[in-house]
Amino acid sequence: MAGSALKRLMAEYKQMTLNPPEGIIAGPVNEENFFEWEALIMGPEGTCFEGGVFPARLTFPPDYPLGPPKMKFTCDLFHPNIYSDGRVCISILHAPGDDPMGYETSAERWSPVQSVEKILLSVVSMLAEPNDESAANVDAAKMWREERDKFEEIAEKHVKKSLGL
Amino acid sequence: MPVILLERIPLPSLRAYTGFSVVLLACALFYAHQVVLNAESVGLEIPVVSVEQLDDGSFNNNEIQYMNVSLPYDAYVWNMMYVMTAEAWCVWTLVNTAYCCLILLGKLVQKIVFGELRVSEQQHLKDKFWNFLFYKFIFVFGVMNVQTMEEVVLWVAWFTILGFFHLLTQLAKDRFEYVSFSPTTPHFIHLKLLSLLCVIVVSCCGLLTVCGLVGFQMGLTIFAFMAAECLLLAIRTLYVVARYCLHLTDMNLEGVWENRATYVYYTELIFELAALSIDFGHHLHMLLWGNIFLSMASLVICMQLRYLFYEFQRRIKRHKNYRRVVKHMEERFSMATTEELNNNNDDCAVCWEKMETARKLPCGHLFHNSCLRSWLEQDTSCPTCRLSLNEHPVNRDPNSNVPDNQNREVPPANPPGNQTMNHFFHFDGSRYVSWLPSFSVEVTHTNMLANHNRLTPAQTSQLDNMARQVLQVFPHMPLNAVVDDLRVTRSVDFTIENILEGRLQAPPPGTLLTRALGEEETSSDDSDNYQTASARADGVDIDQQDYLEIPNETGDNNGSETDNERSDTLSQFSGRFSKSANERETMLEDRKNDMLEIARRRFLAKKSDDNSLSSEETEEASVSDYSDNINTSSASNSGDTSDTVRRRRELAYMAATRRLGQQTYDTSIE
Ligand SMILES: [Zn+2]
Ligand SMILES: [Zn+2]
Repeated sequence: MAGSALKRLMAEYKQMTLNPPEGIIAGPVNEENFFEWEALIMGPEGTCFEGGVFPARLTFPPDYPLGPPKMKFTCDLFHPNIYSDGRVCISILHAPGDDPMGYETSAERWSPVQSVEKILLSVVSMLAEPNDESAANVDAAKMWREERDKFEEIAEKHVKKSLGL
Repeated sequence: MPVILLERIPLPSLRAYTGFSVVLLACALFYAHQVVLNAESVGLEIPVVSVEQLDDGSFNNNEIQYMNVSLPYDAYVWNMMYVMTAEAWCVWTLVNTAYCCLILLGKLVQKIVFGELRVSEQQHLKDKFWNFLFYKFIFVFGVMNVQTMEEVVLWVAWFTILGFFHLLTQLAKDRFEYVSFSPTTPHFIHLKLLSLLCVIVVSCCGLLTVCGLVGFQMGLTIFAFMAAECLLLAIRTLYVVARYCLHLTDMNLEGVWENRATYVYYTELIFELAALSIDFGHHLHMLLWGNIFLSMASLVICMQLRYLFYEFQRRIKRHKNYRRVVKHMEERFSMATTEELNNNNDDCAVCWEKMETARKLPCGHLFHNSCLRSWLEQDTSCPTCRLSLNEHPVNRDPNSNVPDNQNREVPPANPPGNQTMNHFFHFDGSRYVSWLPSFSVEVTHTNMLANHNRLTPAQTSQLDNMARQVLQVFPHMPLNAVVDDLRVTRSVDFTIENILEGRLQAPPPGTLLTRALGEEETSSDDSDNYQTASARADGVDIDQQDYLEIPNETGDNNGSETDNERSDTLSQFSGRFSKSANERETMLEDRKNDMLEIARRRFLAKKSDDNSLSSEETEEASVSDYSDNINTSSASNSGDTSDTVRRRRELAYMAATRRLGQQTYDTSIE
């Protein structure tokens, strides 16, 4: 039933509006469907993504917050933990049952205590500190490890592109 | 699949079809009119067109014979009707007209109740339609083995009406599910949908009466076949109505409806089981009655039976799990006392609503009865602190192979050192955002130290600088420990915080594992603490509001470029949560545009700055920028360094006391 999910999403939307974390904006794409959000994430300062504004889609399941939302960047982003189609691979977005990488402890998985805000903050920290152990984009992980200059160049290009410059 | 094949057939547009039907009907009427007039004037002879239906469906009415037929009625209308029903092609025209009317009626209902159909609704409708057609075809020709044209026509008529209602129910269900995704649906939409559903339910009763009448004449088997279909339709419709009513009640209710989940669950269970068992019985009946064990039809029915059986089993399994969870929960976790509820000024972490009653877990966390139950249905740990709530605590031996959560938290394969790193980083996700004490960072940071070891020499010298600052405050700390921590936090404040918290004492190797566990707990406590500290939907944290206002004022007072920029940044924070959906949408759009605009300006400004500033200055700037980031409140004036430093100290102190308080609170619970 979508009723309780709707109430919770409404509360989260309210919180994200009244009290947004620095550099993050999130809300439903369209009020007709509260289960589809768009988030704008500013690249964390002091990293190669600094200054970029990256849009992402969040799709919530009808049983939210029991199940995690899906998150997908809708812009180009070259990062070890982001699939080439934009899907974000972080462990709090994984349901307690599934474990695609086969390494996570349940403590890192999704739980109803998590929220949009925490997910987005985790994504910010992921942007700042890629985890090349469990790479979703192997090329990016390799470049991050071995050719940091080149990685930063690409990141800068994507930052520019995300700003429409 | 036949479905795919059928979809390829080009269908004429509705307009063309309607036009064609009208013309055909007019022709038939005109013909009947002529016949009746002729018969009335001539008296005896009327022409009868013998119609041969060709393979391609067109009519061949070239051969006209004259027969001696006298019209039975005196009235013109009755004669017309007689002629219309006496002639085969007129009958087909009437049938076609009936279909045309039905399609137009469907279109009308769609226009009135649903408006424009969404893509997924159209897709569902199509699937449902072809599926229905396929199964009924199998039923009529495979199971019933209908021989005469008359019977076929009657069955087709019956299934047409049934299918029509099935499609409407499907549409209503899809639309209800969509509507329930939004809190701002106008009332008249609910009203329209609900009245359509009610009309369908009433029609179902009518159809059931028809079943009864037909069954009376044709026998019990036919009655069972027809009634099963009818009942299925009625149950599906009623299920949607029930869910709809529950949803509306829930949405219009202020606060929490404690038993909502239970009602929803049992409605779902009863309707689903009822539908499944009727469907199963219906298919079984078909298989046994049809005597068609070795035909294509029997294969299809067997497949369907198998599917229904598995569905049934799955549902029962889920219900058993549900019962088990409920029993387990009621046995092991007592309801929280009023005192406990009063002490706990936090909302339920699952639904974020206030708790009037709650269940208490062994770890001391409180949740709504229903929220906890639905979570436990899929996982067996505390949502907040991940404490394993398994039914058999004996299994918690870390060496046993039982894959319960407790074991997975400490995989024995991981070297203890790594584990420590993991959990250690959990705390510091908050360093990007000022006012959060901490939260659980998802990434496994096992490799992070390695990454930081590859820092460039320039950054290392910066680290040394920062380490010296830390050592001025805490001379007793070993230098390498401080540097290591600085590598992670990249901030003097957070390292100081870590030391204050006692996390930064190089621990003896033997205690690594236990420390890891202890920190795990603290980390979740922190995230819990965050729940209280962060402003909730309605209550904006007072500190936070102060932060919001101060910088705005200073931004106005100062004419400098940077301060203007800052006040721009903070305009994002002054978001208001409007009651109107449209206003919310436009405000969100504005905020997004503002952010993009600010980011662009910053980017361009930075580009020009990079060229003019010396490397040392950049470093300094980035440090002060960063501290601004740590807390918006410290952003009062970036030039006034002593003020910033004082504020930082205060923050570190506040964080430390808060966490110490949290720890003592936790130990007192245990
Ligand atoms: Zn709750
Ligand atoms: Zn707990």
